[in-house]
Amino acid sequence: MANDTSVLHQEYVARAREMLLHMEQGNEDESARLLDELVRLREDSLFRELGKLTRDFHDALNNFRLDSRIADMAEHEIPDARDRLSYVITMTEQAANRTLSAIEDSLPACEALETQGEALKTRWVRFTRREMDAQDFRVLAHDVEAFLEAASRDLPRLHENLQDVLMAQGFQDLTGQIIRRVISLVEELERNLVELVRISGQKLLPPEKEAKPDTSAGVHGPAVPGLDTGTVSGQDEVDDLLSSLGF
Amino acid sequence: MDKNIKILIVDDFSTMRRIIKNLLRDLGYNNTSEADDGLTALPMLQNSSFDLLITDWNMPGMQGIDLLRAVRADPKLSALPVMMVTAEQKREQIIEAAKAGVNGYIVKPFTAQTLKEKLEKIFERVEAK
Repeated sequence: MANDTSVLHQEYVARAREMLLHMEQGNEDESARLLDELVRLREDSLFRELGKLTRDFHDALNNFRLDSRIADMAEHEIPDARDRLSYVITMTEQAANRTLSAIEDSLPACEALETQGEALKTRWVRFTRREMDAQDFRVLAHDVEAFLEAASRDLPRLHENLQDVLMAQGFQDLTGQIIRRVISLVEELERNLVELVRISGQKLLPPEKEAKPDTSAGVHGPAVPGLDTGTVSGQDEVDDLLSSLGF
Repeated sequence: MDKNIKILIVDDFSTMRRIIKNLLRDLGYNNTSEADDGLTALPMLQNSSFDLLITDWNMPGMQGIDLLRAVRADPKLSALPVMMVTAEQKREQIIEAAKAGVNGYIVKPFTAQTLKEKLEKIFERVEAK
């Protein structure tokens, strides 16, 4: 910069001297041309300064935007992400409890059917080998009937419990979507912090690469109670909304 | 309804695809295929004759709403019944899906009963045509 100024200074001096020489010799055309050149030199350096100022201003604005983005993230999005992650814990806990309850309800019924079935099988084999007297057979027939009753009572319940376990696994999709959203927030925060370090470290790091395009435009993911607005509260509201649209 | 109809299940989460597949099997529909996003699903739909599409909305690559629009824009597929099963529950999204020509919309988490009812409703309309 100091070099630039001194080069410029020398150019001024050289032209001024030359101009003075031409003026003294009454060479008006040439002295006018040199005056124009001097003015142009002055304008050029002015524009250079103006250009530099504009660039500084632009950088300052960008930095300000970055600062306010980080402040905004700290103020709104980090607490929002914290609430979303808490909701993930609630959902996984509910799913685990729902699964465990279904299993706890099913296991005793399974064990009872298993034991009864095994005992009946042994006696049934005796019957088919004609090793059973009439009295024992009457008892066996009665027990078979009781077993069939227990089976037709308990099996639908087991079926229902298994279906409940199946449905409870939906948490993986829903929490996965919420966690993905938080991950993308963390990534953005990381990018901004790196940028901040880059700026305050006087461009120690190479410039940021282009951010990857956002493919999740227009999607919101699962609604988190208390955080998301403008959502329906369940299937009934969806059905109402659709029927109001002629569905 | 013919229990042998061909159903395509599209969701980026394999756990959700398995849930839907098992529910459908429970209802007697065994002829199902799976895809993990719209980009994979569309060629499958175009190259084979499916009778029903069940799709999620929020997926990488091609989203469910775009898959729905692509199906409606394809002369060979335009009449295919499409059911959305999604966690997207903003009112404007449900309206958007309705305008794009969805036949049923189920919000997650859903119940086996809801899936059964919505399927029956779709089949009733298909058979009435």
